Amino acid sequence: MTVVITPTMIGQVIISGLLAGALYAMVALGLGLIFGVMRVLNVAHGPLLMLGAYTTFWLFQLLGLNPYLSLLVSMPLLFLAGVVLQRVLVHRVVDAPELSSLLLMFGVSIALVNLAQLGFTSDVRSVEYLTGSFILGPFAFSKSRVIACAFALAITAGAFVLLKKTRLGKAIRAVSQSREVAQVCGINVQRIHLITFGAASALAAAGGTLVAVMVAIQPEMGQVYTFKSFLVIVLGGAGNYPGALLGGLLLGLIEQLSSLFITTQVNEAVAYVLLVLVLLLRPTGLLKGRS
Amino acid sequence: MVDRVVKRFGGVTAVNKVSLSLEAGRIYGLIGPKGSGKTTLFNCITGVDQADEGQIRFKGQRIDGLKPHQIFHQGIGRTFQVIRVFPELTALENLLVVTTDDYAAARARAEDLLRFVKLERLANEYAGNLSYGQQKLVEFVRVLMTDPELVLLDEPAAGVNRTLLNELLDAVRTLRDRGKTVLLVEHDMKVVMGLCETVFVLDHGEKLTEGPPGVIQTDERVIEAYFGR
Repeated sequence: MTVVITPTMIGQVIISGLLAGALYAMVALGLGLIFGVMRVLNVAHGPLLMLGAYTTFWLFQLLGLNPYLSLLVSMPLLFLAGVVLQRVLVHRVVDAPELSSLLLMFGVSIALVNLAQLGFTSDVRSVEYLTGSFILGPFAFSKSRVIACAFALAITAGAFVLLKKTRLGKAIRAVSQSREVAQVCGINVQRIHLITFGAASALAAAGGTLVAVMVAIQPEMGQVYTFKSFLVIVLGGAGNYPGALLGGLLLGLIEQLSSLFITTQVNEAVAYVLLVLVLLLRPTGLLKGRS
Repeated sequence: MVDRVVKRFGGVTAVNKVSLSLEAGRIYGLIGPKGSGKTTLFNCITGVDQADEGQIRFKGQRIDGLKPHQIFHQGIGRTFQVIRVFPELTALENLLVVTTDDYAAARARAEDLLRFVKLERLANEYAGNLSYGQQKLVEFVRVLMTDPELVLLDEPAAGVNRTLLNELLDAVRTLRDRGKTVLLVEHDMKVVMGLCETVFVLDHGEKLTEGPPGVIQTDERVIEAYFGR
């Protein structure tokens, strides 16, 4: 069977790729923040996203709340969860060797998934809210993806403004550049760590809420986002926050293009081949990351 | 102020029963051969390291045991031996990042301070792109953001060219004239002798002697500590 690839199809996948990429970028920014500020690789990032998706599902199911409005609940709720995680567990391993924090975060990841299985069962859930597409000329855009992309871009932009312009943002960037100097500048590093973990969890929660209307919701839905975020951060350069945006868009594009030109089954494999190439050729990321 | 402070790392006693007493409005020097414990003593005062024994008092209150950011808020600022600016923040942001009570006033003060060391043109340049001496000045004025009572300078002259150095030394004297206390570690003896009113000499973690620079310079024990017998 041969499929003729038309320019319209290429245009369509590029747009789909960018739509998905914006969401990846937002979620990955959270992972990147925690890594940049604390040098902790938070493999529980995806399970936090899963909790965000469940928050949206239950609010929709029980109260009929508009899934997009539930951002106002899922983000603060997971912010709080992130703060608690940091306060109770993660702060103990910030100064420990990387392996300790990695092990701890794996444990947290497994615990969150199991708790979700226990509390919500492993049944696959979905939020039937928005179906259909916007049609523009020859292109069709899934409504839920367009809206998710718009929210993701807005939230990412908000996070960048916060990092760049506000005093808190400057303090976060300062701590990620040097904790010791930040201390002698009077910055309460523990507090910045709490806020960072909270904010990163809120970004994961936003991702969970936005994908809740698109994908099947189940306790193990999160892990794939941990890996995607990791990929985005490597593509963009660890510790380079604008790089996360580029990395996210790139990952979305690569996935879509490879499913068009090769097959859908291999798009993750293609992404990982790319990961290996970047690590070999540009280990500091595509933009100049911190070495 | 610093009272019989001891700091050990494993079996090594880096600082052994060192006492320093500082009066407001004076410039003090802290000298000694490499490894004599100068930076460790700085770290104890600023809370980066915790002293194992002894007390550190500041304005009548004990500050040993406080966290670095708390000690900072007591009014003690420091610079580092190897410059520590935030390379990926601009010169101005490097100052704004300092925690102060009034953020609106902080901006005006940061701009004033950059003007004070003639770096106002470079305010929006990333600190990592400035010359070594300019970064040192940024680090120096960053300490002044909160108007600290005591300023600890770890080798302020190292790697700074003459012109910038003179500006830095003038700035230190201006601080003193405004009633601030300065304690500096320095290897450039010309700087120490020209600037300090009292010099403490450390050797192998112990205080060898203290006195005016002229006396220290000719002290047999000091010469021996530096050059051996």
